[in-house]
Amino acid sequence: MSLSAARTVGTRGTPGRLGPVWTFLFRYGPPRWTEYLIKNWAGQRLVISLPYLWLLIFFLVPFLIVLKISFAEFSPLGRPPYEPVFRWLDEGALQIKLLVSSYTYLFNEPLYVSSWGYSIMVAAVSTVLCLLLGYPMAYAIARSTPTYRNVFLMLVILPFWTSFLLRVYAWIGLLKTDGVINNVLMWLGIIDAPLTMMYTSFAVYIGIVYSYLPFMILPLYSNLEKHDNTLLEAASDLGAGPIKAFLRVTLPLSFPGIVAGSLLVFIPAVGEYVIPSLLGRTDQLMIAKLLSDEFFLNRDWPKASAVAIAMLLLLVVPIMLFQHFQNKELQANKK
Amino acid sequence: MQSAERRTDKKIKNEPWRDPNAEAYVRFENITKRFGDFVAVNNVSLKIYKGEIFCLLGGSGCGKSTLLRMMAGFEQPSAGTIYLDGQDLAGIPPYERPVNMMFQSYALFPHMTVEKNIAFGLEQEKGLSRSEIATRVTDILEIVKLTPFAVRKPHQLSGGQRQRVALARSLVKRPKLLLLDEPLGALDKKLREATQFELINIQESLGVTFIVVTHDQEEAMTLASRIGVMNRGEIVQIGTPTEIYEFPMTKFVADFIGSVNMFEGQLVEDLPDRARIKSDELGGLIYIDHGISSAPGATVWAAVRPEKINIQRQPPANTSENCAKGVVKEIAYMGDVSIYLVKIDSGKTVRVTLPNVERLSDDERIQWDETVWLTWHASSPVVVTQ
Repeated sequence: MSLSAARTVGTRGTPGRLGPVWTFLFRYGPPRWTEYLIKNWAGQRLVISLPYLWLLIFFLVPFLIVLKISFAEFSPLGRPPYEPVFRWLDEGALQIKLLVSSYTYLFNEPLYVSSWGYSIMVAAVSTVLCLLLGYPMAYAIARSTPTYRNVFLMLVILPFWTSFLLRVYAWIGLLKTDGVINNVLMWLGIIDAPLTMMYTSFAVYIGIVYSYLPFMILPLYSNLEKHDNTLLEAASDLGAGPIKAFLRVTLPLSFPGIVAGSLLVFIPAVGEYVIPSLLGRTDQLMIAKLLSDEFFLNRDWPKASAVAIAMLLLLVVPIMLFQHFQNKELQANKK
Repeated sequence: MQSAERRTDKKIKNEPWRDPNAEAYVRFENITKRFGDFVAVNNVSLKIYKGEIFCLLGGSGCGKSTLLRMMAGFEQPSAGTIYLDGQDLAGIPPYERPVNMMFQSYALFPHMTVEKNIAFGLEQEKGLSRSEIATRVTDILEIVKLTPFAVRKPHQLSGGQRQRVALARSLVKRPKLLLLDEPLGALDKKLREATQFELINIQESLGVTFIVVTHDQEEAMTLASRIGVMNRGEIVQIGTPTEIYEFPMTKFVADFIGSVNMFEGQLVEDLPDRARIKSDELGGLIYIDHGISSAPGATVWAAVRPEKINIQRQPPANTSENCAKGVVKEIAYMGDVSIYLVKIDSGKTVRVTLPNVERLSDDERIQWDETVWLTWHASSPVVVTQ
């Protein structure tokens, strides 16, 4: 349509003030190969294939390498520190040596089992806390006037302007024994002796909830903001008080937002490394810390890889759930 | 004599507003609603009687929807009182009012099936058993002919079906008063006409009082027992569809309801049984067979409906009154009627509609650029003074 229009302009007369290149384009239209690409939607394919190629090279291939290493045998003195999985024998045959010992170790070693349990618990509790805090905030933002709405959203996103690491470090200053919170509480006379907050699960929850709250608020907000107010009016008209109307209309309709927000908090929280390392307990590790120790301190690449793969498998389920609900919401929006 | 009396009795029974002793079911008393500086509803007083279908008719932004929303309880009046069955509604939240509303957008709950949508209102009522709710839902689905669609979600329904779900949902609670906001706006013409009659049937069989808000005068004409025409937050005229159409009290009403040819002029004669208006816009005199009772020389407007004008090729016997010569400029064939736009000698374009009673060949029909004479009966013009 636009191509033929450009042609017509060209034949009617030369656009005088444009440069020679434009004059040429106007007169003859775009070259044939671009026309071909546009017609065959090759442009669209190109746009999609580039990022996929990127993911293939820098995500899928490394993943396969990690998968391979997880089945290899640990050799502490080797360089790299594992026995090769695939080896060409002199007779020209391919030898494949797969060990599942790294995986069985994960399930039998109490340290690992407790780390898994602790990671999942911390992530789950943080997710619930984020939801309880984030839902009312998202609701209030969605219900505020457009001017305030932008300010509130800005305030939610504002912490991202500072480095994540810096913000977690700042919590040390607040939480430690002679930190800001303890000093203020003692000065006010509320407590006599400083509270132990650093290096506890409490500090980890504070850190995770603080860091991931925007990931809960934003998807919830984008869901709640689309809600049609007349639905609540209809509920009210049909005899439902404000609480009933919320429970039966707003809450079920915001379910995709709740799922999206919860997964965006839960998934990174399970594998969180920085926050528990800086603020958390030293006697109870989270799985990511264990992974890094296995890799950097023990140099046991196969075990570290097995942990990574197991973590991935553990997270694939919620990620697929997330995808499912996102698709569902997309479809609902189309209507 | 006796039959005339019986007729009056029947009339009062069907038209309770004619009975001075009748108790109004809904009363708006001096209702005003302001949004900041904007006055959406200005000092409206209105009485609606039991069993009526009362239509609030007006253009967009005239305050009709605001009036309805105040009745439902979504807005609070800035001044004035609303009574329902003698009870002052001030301070009663929407969910405690015995009033239900059918929303313009239908406002169906997208995550619930048709059944669940309809049952929602009943579930909020105390003391209704599950089986009772189920029977009432089944019954109302039967009435609106949606039984086969009970387990569908709203997005799987057509516009007409959604509209019927919305109606069923608001009716199933058996409200004393049903408010309908542009109920048929989203439907196509055929479906709209069918639904209009369906609405009237339902209203008559269930005995609910309806207040309908609409901008569509045709819809108001078919549905309403009475129409309240609104303009700029005020009610400008209340009356039966016939009264509103045949006896509009202002230029606005005459113009808003149907189409009309308006001739401005000066009153030159005003007697109890006749009146004459000298109109430059017509280029002659307008003769009316009743008095106006206005000051002589006052500027008035004579409104003549297009279907009340005759169009002919030969000049009439009396060309000095209720008559104009002109040239046909446009013809629109609508099937049942034809619309002619005639430019009369004074320069004004007059709209005339003629029913196509006979099937005429093109030669017999009046053609473009033909010179024609327009005439009308002395009872046809309606004179308004503002």
